[in-house]
Amino acid sequence: MPLLSAAAVTKRYPGVTALDSLTLSLEPGIIGLVGANGAGKSTFIRILLGLLAPTSGSVEVLGIDALKAPLEVRKLIGYLPEHDCLPIDVSAADFVTHMGRISGLPASAARERAAETLRHVGLHEERYRLIGSYSTGMKQRVKLAQALTHDPKLLLLDEPTNGLDPEGREEMLGLVERTGREFGIAIIITSHLLGEIERVCDYLVAIEQGKLQHAGALAKLTERTQVLRLELDDDATEFIGRLRSAGLDVQVVDGALLVALASDAAYDVIRDIAAELDTPIARMELDRHHVGDLFRTATEDRSPKTEVLV
Amino acid sequence: MTDSIATPGTAARAAGTIYDLGYQHYDGPRLGRWSVIRTLAAFSFRTAFGTGRGNKAQIIPYIVLLLVYLPAVIMVGMSSALGQPQLISYAQYLPAVTFFLALFTAAQAAEVIVTDRQYGVLSLYLSRALNVNDYIAAKLIAFTGALLVLTLGPQLVLFTGKILIATAPWDAFKSNYKDLWPIIGGTLLAACYMSFIGLALASFAARRAYAAAAVIAFFVFMPAVANIARVIITNEDNRRYTVLANPFIVITGFANWLFDVQANARVPNQFGARGTARTLARAALPGEYYLYVMIGTCVLALGLLILRYRRTEV
Repeated sequence: MPLLSAAAVTKRYPGVTALDSLTLSLEPGIIGLVGANGAGKSTFIRILLGLLAPTSGSVEVLGIDALKAPLEVRKLIGYLPEHDCLPIDVSAADFVTHMGRISGLPASAARERAAETLRHVGLHEERYRLIGSYSTGMKQRVKLAQALTHDPKLLLLDEPTNGLDPEGREEMLGLVERTGREFGIAIIITSHLLGEIERVCDYLVAIEQGKLQHAGALAKLTERTQVLRLELDDDATEFIGRLRSAGLDVQVVDGALLVALASDAAYDVIRDIAAELDTPIARMELDRHHVGDLFRTATEDRSPKTEVLV
Repeated sequence: MTDSIATPGTAARAAGTIYDLGYQHYDGPRLGRWSVIRTLAAFSFRTAFGTGRGNKAQIIPYIVLLLVYLPAVIMVGMSSALGQPQLISYAQYLPAVTFFLALFTAAQAAEVIVTDRQYGVLSLYLSRALNVNDYIAAKLIAFTGALLVLTLGPQLVLFTGKILIATAPWDAFKSNYKDLWPIIGGTLLAACYMSFIGLALASFAARRAYAAAAVIAFFVFMPAVANIARVIITNEDNRRYTVLANPFIVITGFANWLFDVQANARVPNQFGARGTARTLARAALPGEYYLYVMIGTCVLALGLLILRYRRTEV
């Protein structure tokens, strides 16, 4: 049974087509859903949750018609919205217990599972504190815990790393990955950062202006090498020369060096050159290339007006 | 995974080993829709009294509780001291505490319904096995229940007091138990009236303060509207109906009708009760009209709530 199958799903608002004949079949796994704001991601998620009826087309989630039996589908789904969704004057333990009971768990089971999911997301010690006193990262974990507490078959995570610092992002992605791989819960995660999708997902769906842009296993999509962004304090000419003679592909964009990373050995090469030339490196980071970069060629072919996808 | 963690069933099942059970799937029972509604109603009921929400949230509910129960206790105490159970009047109680009920409604309807929208919790509710109408039902049950504590509770104190201070309590119960039906029915309708109005008005506000202001405005402006209408309307016969716009008069008229009190009966001058009695006597409307207005208001408020949540964006 497929995780999800959508057949010619179209959603029209007056003057706008939010989803345009979207046909899609997905198997369980960690699925990345990417697209710009207004691309139709949220509309699609709301249709999956049975909260919005499409103008035409049909959607099945785990073999259940999302339009005919929305309550049945929602029982199987855990949803982490993009926006704030937590009360401030309740403790995390109470709130997650409450959400478990709202999903039909008996009181004692809801309490146990709340404690368990909060421990899973790393909030065991702090769970009796009021949510209002939590940091953004902790709140994001509570949001994940409430989505997990009723043991769903499918998690819908809408931009779960929004508003988190790089460290928080890494931790959240680690949690997402562990939830998907070890617990066997299917996950659909939206993000506009390809780096994140790449890290945790094994399948990628791209939507643009309501149309399906791409759907495929992620390994194939991102076979292209990663790019390291380097900013130097000193003159870069000699540095570039040394990098190129070491066999690395280097481009200069806005004063920064973009180095193609064929393998991790490239880091060592860069380190050694920097040490030999005694050149301070002001900044070095993996270029978080946006999904748009991946599809830019395809996008330009289809609609020249669109400059950036995401 | 550290070395000290083992999975159950392995050779490491020795004393003192920490078992990492990992993630447990849940395959226990899942309760149906009605129990979900009950859960949300119970949670919201607690919210209405600030339970589990820190001390600050409990100030107003507890002050109102004190204000509505204290007169009942004093009444019972006085009639006990004087040995006169007949001093206890059910009809006057509801009108006497309507102002406090309005205060409670203004402050707490917002807590019950606005915060869900303000903090985005509503989208979590509606993405679970709960639809919009279930949500509205749960909120109405919760807040009507909270108001019942403030309306039915004190009247039960009166009833119990009246029985217990009688020389023969069992005989007193037998001759008085029929009072329970109007007490329960009347306070239930009054609780519905306040809570439906409160939740309907509050549901349109984006913040708690606006919701409180809207409910207070309703209870301040409606009597004013009634008075203005009375001045504008010259036809003496039509003029009588203007009192139906005033919620305080409606509740008093309803309570009088319920306990069969004549509108022009002598009443003590408390909380403007004498003025209200005069207004009621002057209007001389059949008592049922007040009942119809209350039921009609509830239906209207329910319609507003359904309309408000029909197109909820999640």
